[in-house]
Amino acid sequence: MPRVRGGSKRKESRKKIMALAKGFKGKRGTSHRIAKQAVMKALRNSYIDRRRRKRDFRRLWITRISAAAKLNGMSYSKFIGGLERQEVGLNRKILAEIAVHDAETFAVLVGTAKEGVAEE
Amino acid sequence: MQRTFVAKNEEIGKSWNRDWYLVNAEGKRLGRLASEIAMILQGKRKPIYTPHVDTGDYVVVINAAKIDLSGNKWDQKLYRRHSGYIGGLKEIPYRRLIEKRPTFPVREAVRRMLPKTTLGRRMLRKLKVYAGPEHPHTAQRPEEIAL
Repeated sequence: MPRVRGGSKRKESRKKIMALAKGFKGKRGTSHRIAKQAVMKALRNSYIDRRRRKRDFRRLWITRISAAAKLNGMSYSKFIGGLERQEVGLNRKILAEIAVHDAETFAVLVGTAKEGVAEE
Repeated sequence: MQRTFVAKNEEIGKSWNRDWYLVNAEGKRLGRLASEIAMILQGKRKPIYTPHVDTGDYVVVINAAKIDLSGNKWDQKLYRRHSGYIGGLKEIPYRRLIEKRPTFPVREAVRRMLPKTTLGRRMLRKLKVYAGPEHPHTAQRPEEIAL
């Protein structure tokens, strides 16, 4: 069997790595040996952070809802508890957007939540 | 898809878009007051709060020298710093510190509650502390709030 030389395949795989490392700082973007490690780490981090993003945003929404609820004289936990009781099906993302853009509607929601709390 | 609102530095970052608050520290507990101030400086009391943007407001504290502590902290609360040399630990009890630098305890308590980042240090610059009842920010017309 004829001997196979690996040059072309190797070039392909290097090109792939170097393309992913484009824009990295210093040798991490120019030298294949360093770039390979950097790319592995970058892909791992982006995988982790795509999952983290969901938690990060939920935290942000809760902070915003909490601030808006306190402006209307209600704590976050009481507010969410009251809405739950009234079976208001809005999620935290939409509640946060309402809190930012439409304070009047949010005040109405706080009113609803207060009724919910009072029912107990 | 409905995208989450993000506050822009160009709009909120301008000082004329920020509010001013006046806090009278007389007789207030140091830590409890500081945590409320830290919340205002960070903008966490506003629905537009955005973590990477400073959405906070200005806080003017007056009568900082007349702030109160619970328990025996007047003599037992020690402010420590280390010069880096051997035996370079300096300790000063609250009672002596408040005489020497009356605005320091409030500022320091708030500083330690803010994020230890560039943004955190920028937030601290919005805090103005004065030992007595006067302050030079009448032009900003700070709104007095009870904390």
